[in-house]
This record gives sequence, structure tokens and C-alpha cells, in this order.
Amino acid sequence: MYLHNVNPSVKALTIVGLVFVLAFLFDPITPLIYIFWTLLITFSFGSFRKKYYIIYFLSFLLFAFGMLWSSIIFADVPNDPAEQVTILGWEVPKEDLLVAISLSLRILAFATLSLLFVFTTNMVQFILSLIQQLKLPPKLAYGILAGYRFLPMMKDEFQHIRSAHRLRGLNEAASFPAKLQQFQRFAIPLLAGAIRKAERTAVAMESKGFTGDRNRTYYRPITISKKDWIFPIIMFSMLGLLIAVSVKFGYFSWYSGQF
Amino acid sequence: MSKEIIRAENLSLYYEEMERPVFRNLSFQIHACENVLILGPSGSGKSSLIQCLNGLYPRELDGTMKGSVTVNGKSTREFQPGAASKHVGVVFQDPETQFCMLTVEDEIAFGLENLRTPVQEMEAIINDVLHSVGLYEFKSAQISKLSGGQKQKLALACILAMEPEVIVLDEPTANLDPVASKDFVATLSALKHKRDFALIVIEHQLDDWVTLLERAFILQNNGVCLYDGPFRKGMELHAASLQKQGIWMPFAAQTAIKKKIAFLRLPLLIEELVNVNNPELLNVSHPASKHKRGDVLLEAYNVSWKKVVRSTALQIHQHEFIAIVGANGSGKTSLSRLLAGISKPSKGKISFQGKLLSQWKERHLYEKLGYVFQNPEHQFITDSVYEEIAFGLRIMYPDSQEAERKTDKILAQFHLEQWKHHHPFALSQGQKRRLSVAAMLANDQSLLFLDEPTFGQDAASTDKLMELLMDKFNKGTSIVMITHDMNLVDQYATRVLVVDEGRIAADVSPAKLWVRGDLDDFQLTYPNRIELERMLKKRKDSYVPS
Repeated sequence: MYLHNVNPSVKALTIVGLVFVLAFLFDPITPLIYIFWTLLITFSFGSFRKKYYIIYFLSFLLFAFGMLWSSIIFADVPNDPAEQVTILGWEVPKEDLLVAISLSLRILAFATLSLLFVFTTNMVQFILSLIQQLKLPPKLAYGILAGYRFLPMMKDEFQHIRSAHRLRGLNEAASFPAKLQQFQRFAIPLLAGAIRKAERTAVAMESKGFTGDRNRTYYRPITISKKDWIFPIIMFSMLGLLIAVSVKFGYFSWYSGQF
Repeated sequence: MSKEIIRAENLSLYYEEMERPVFRNLSFQIHACENVLILGPSGSGKSSLIQCLNGLYPRELDGTMKGSVTVNGKSTREFQPGAASKHVGVVFQDPETQFCMLTVEDEIAFGLENLRTPVQEMEAIINDVLHSVGLYEFKSAQISKLSGGQKQKLALACILAMEPEVIVLDEPTANLDPVASKDFVATLSALKHKRDFALIVIEHQLDDWVTLLERAFILQNNGVCLYDGPFRKGMELHAASLQKQGIWMPFAAQTAIKKKIAFLRLPLLIEELVNVNNPELLNVSHPASKHKRGDVLLEAYNVSWKKVVRSTALQIHQHEFIAIVGANGSGKTSLSRLLAGISKPSKGKISFQGKLLSQWKERHLYEKLGYVFQNPEHQFITDSVYEEIAFGLRIMYPDSQEAERKTDKILAQFHLEQWKHHHPFALSQGQKRRLSVAAMLANDQSLLFLDEPTFGQDAASTDKLMELLMDKFNKGTSIVMITHDMNLVDQYATRVLVVDEGRIAADVSPAKLWVRGDLDDFQLTYPNRIELERMLKKRKDSYVPS
């Protein structure tokens, strides 16, 4: 699928750029249309488990809705009846409502863009691309990759320690201070284990000749081809078009200290 | 003599917090294509020695290194970090932590990338090394999905790809089941025929390695070199002190010495042992066991857990010594954890002393049932070795003098006295293992589970540990031990459970298990004693005049 093959660095920078521009737009319509556009692109040119996407998307939706709700509830008491609207028998200033809606929609637009990236990018490829295109120091990048392998190990480790302590006759803590103490008891072996593992991995990496030097070859060279530019061009053109439309119809507004 | 690659002169190593050196005044050379075994009791600095050879020490050392190590005539102090690995490649003990990529091919490529191998050549090299260790079909597999044996082979492949002149293996088979370890040694032997590299191996269990490693470098407790020369001669000259230091010897050599059999050359292989002139001396059969088990202690009815343990039923009686054996990843640990009430079965019931595990109060249950984890660090809860042992005893003996007396006794039994004020995490791996068992044995449980308690231990520690377990057993504690060491099973167990893909494939006495011909199917081998008996029988049969 096209989205999976776009160079990860190009994709990431595009998303960052789009988020940056969207952050300065303050009308509710542009982000709303752009959300649908992003969804359309994600679903047409990406392949992933739709169920997971929907779960993630719904949690962002909930967050955005909560934001909208709280902005409305905590809105100032309207003083000019002409400038207010009624929602479900609730009277709020029109201005506040618009601000709330555009804030929530912005959050949602950021979310859909991030999800597009997360669901169509391979983590390893992304890091390799960061090294090769964006000159991330290999020391850091390979460290992150190694750490990525550690996460599931840490979870197992935690469970082992918990049951080992139970076996030694230490009951599960009930009160808060006891819980805190218990956490300390867990933390030491967990951290000691993590540090020791990290050290071993570092030694093993070094004994495979890893020096952190940038001067290395790549088994999976990650390049930027002409095709990779289609993604930013399409995404930015659409945003440009939407902004042009908003100017034309007069609802365009920059962010200039509202709210 | 072939070309010299590594030369160590007057090498001594001091760790910051210790007064005594880890090892001192070691001088030796490693030549091209040599096969060297480094032998020594736990804690004699074998792993530290390796770090000196590949240039990691003194750079990464908290302490001082005296003397010099040169690789191809250049001092390791002058190498850039990571540069010495072009010449000396190391496969480490723990297969989990030596990888930093997600898939097999990426991991091998990682080393090649570091050496700046051109991309066009990488594919061919990766395919080649994967073929030679027998992992080609796993080329694009996730590393986390590999078995322990496969991971160890992958670690070897990574080093092979970099074509160092010396390959060092640090206890490469410690985590593997019996067949996987034999397989690993066979892979190495085959490689030695095809490629030129010197091999240095640190290993406790020698039987599989005898034919491959012809030179032995033996370190003593105090860090001084005892012997450096041909393996067999080392065994012949120093058998007594090896035994005293608690260093493993091959089964054949041990038996020959124990049975006082006269020999021209000390036998190292069972095949050689069989050929002595008076085979009747070699009677190693066990006396018929008078063991009688007691009432049912623990009972499991059709227990399942995820897909790892599948509808298993069994009974554990009082006064039983049960060994759980099976391939890496067959579900041995999961089964034992279910039986000990650490994880809850997704189906089925388990009762202990006639009461369901779920009805027991946790505290009361674990006064009667103990479990020693695979990783000893997980169960340490106090700040010192002394406190660690005293912890359980103080609950049992409110009289603090009695608790102290017992603690001191246990410390002495487990050779941990001189470390009693140390933090448990500061001990060596072998000592940690001993401490974790000691802390558990302090309470008088009626059932004790141990997950590979002897792994990575030298002969003396293993003997000591087994002696203490037997002592408990003779006083009535039932013991359930997961192990890969078939000799221990043969020597101590009264009953063996063979676990295969989450089911109990066999539940018999060891003697009955050895009669079966299908141990291979479960990645198991026969103990040395049985192999010896078989060969003796074969030899006797061939003498029968026809």
C-alpha cells in the first residue's frame, strides 16, 4: 500500500508541518473537512486492522468531545442575548461555542494525522530513516531500538517479582503507605534487572563492532524517491485549497489569541 | 606452531570494591585455529577474563587492570571502542540480552553494518552463516519467537558473519535443553572444519565438549592459573585439586578416578572408559531404591493455562523427589507455577493438603509450600545476605537468638558467611543462586519447587545444593525440581515428569524412563551412567564367542 512505502522521515515531517499549519487556523470548518480528508487517505492507501484504528480514534473522539463539553460548561455567562445560542436548553455565548468547537476539531485533526502515521509506519524503518535521512546519531537510534525489545521483557519481569515476593510471605499491600513501600521493593530488583540487561546488551552491541560511528553501511538502505513527494504534495495542496475556500467564503480566521 | 593472535602478559584484574584481585598474573597466548576451554569454579573471574580479551576492559572497568593484552600485536588499550571485536567475537551467556534488532537477518546485518560491509555483499554473507548454523528458514523470523537454542545459534551466526579470528563462547549451553546443547556443539564442530577461527569456550558441563576442545586453561578459586596445556593431561595431573576446587570433570574421568581404575591415559569419553581391561569394576548401577512415598499432598485435576499447559492431571505425594524435564519452551515452568499457586489455571482445579488452592490463605499456603525462581534476583527482598536468610526464620522463631543461630548455620552450609554483609545483588551469579535456595530452605515447607536450581553452577556448588535438598527430602519434604541435567535426574529423582507441548508425556520412575527409546522426541538425552551401562553391555555381547 502506498502509505506504508512513503519514506518515514518524509511522512513524519509532512505530518509535523500539517499540524503546525492547522494549529494556526481557527475556523471550525477547515479542520472538519480536513479530518474527513485524512480519514479518506488513511483508509484508501493504508492497510491495517480497522478494529484497532477505530478503538484509538474513538478514544480521541471522546477526549475531543470532553474538551468541547467542558469549554461550554465553563463558558462565561452571556451578557448580550443577541450573541448567544441555545444548546439543549443551555444558553452559551456564540463566540465561546465557536472557539470550543474549533479547539475540539483541531485536536481531532491532529489525532487523525498522528494515527495515519502510526498505523502506516514500521517502527524499525522509521528509526532507520531517522538515522539515514535526518542524521539522528546511531548511538541514540540503536539504543531506542534495543529498548523497544525490552518493553515486553519488563512486563514479565514485574510479574515474576510480584509473585516471588508474595511467596516470601509479603502480602499484597492494602493501604497507601504500604503500597508505596511495596513499590520501592519492586522497583529495586526491576531497575537492577533493567540496568544489568541494558549493560549486557550494550556490551553485546559493542562486541559486534558497534561504535556509535555514523560511518556505517546499511542492510536496509532507506532512500527518498520521487514517489515519496506525492504524499506531502497532496496533503499540503488539500490544506491550501481548504484555506483558499475559507478565505473566499469569508470564514477564514487565524489564531490570534482567542480563548 | 600457528600464528599467535592473542597474547596476555601478567594480567591481573582488581574490582574497585574488592581487595583481592579477581585473577592475577595470567600469561598465555591464543594461536590461530586453537580450541581452548577455560575452566574454573564459579566466581573465579572467567567472564571478566573475556572482557579483557575483547578490549572492553580496561575501558569499561570499575577497577584496575594490570599487565597487558595484545591482539595481533596491538595492545587492547589502543583499540577504538568496538574495534577489537573484528578480531575477537564473543557470544554471551544470556541469549535474551545480546540482540538489539527485531528480526534474524537484521541482527546479523547489524554486525556487518558496523564493519562497513558493502550492502551488495551482505545478503550472501547472511545466507551463508544462516545455512551453516541451520537457521536459514528463520531468516525473516522475529527473534522473540525463537527458542533458546535457536537464539544461541543466532548469536553465534552474528559473530561468524563478522569473521573474527577468535570466537569466545561464555557458557553457551547453560540455558539449553540436552538435545539443543549437543546440537550446538555439533554445529560448532562442523563449523571448525569449514572455517578458520580459534575457539575459546567457558563451560561447566564438559561432557559434550571433550572431543572439540583440546587445550584447557584452568583457573583456581584464588584467581591463579592452575594449569595450561592439553586437556587430558590437565585432568590427569590435577584431578585431585580439580575435585577440591569443585570444578566439573567429564563423567568418564570422574568415574575412572572414583573407581580407582588403572589407566594409561585418563579416559575423557565414555567410549574410552568402556575399553579398560577390567570392566567389572565399572559397576555403576544404582542399588534398588527402597523409597516409599506417602499420602497425596497435592492434586491437580485437568488443569489448563492459556495454550501452554493443556488439561493436565497429576498427584504429588509426601516424600517424593520429582524431576520435571522437557524441551525448552515445553511448559515446565508454567506447570510448576500453576501447581505452586503462583498463576491461576484457566481451567481445572488444584488442591493442596485436601483444600483447594483458591481457598488457602496466601500466607498459610506459602508457609507450607516454597518456590525457588529461575532468576534468583526476583525473590530478594532485603538489603543484606544475612537479612535475606533471617527474614523467614524470624517469622518462624520469635526467639531471636534461635533465629540468629539458625541463620549462621545456613550461611555456613551454603558457603555464604564471608558475604553476609553484602547486598544480595552484589553477589556472583552462583552465589545468588545459592542464596535464593538458602532463603527458601530456611522455612520448613512440606513441598518445595525449584526452577533449574543448578544451572550455571560449578560441581562443588551443585553437589552442595543437592546434598542440602536430599537432607530436606530425607526429613520428609517433597521436592519438585525442573532441570535439564539428566544426571541429576538419574541420581536423585524418585519420579520423572516429561513435559511435551504442555502435556505430561510420561510420568514414571527414572529407571523406567531410561528403558524407553523415545527420549529424543522430547529433546532429552540419557544420563551418562546409562550410556556407560549400554556400552558395557554392547562390549560384553561382542565378546560372546559365536
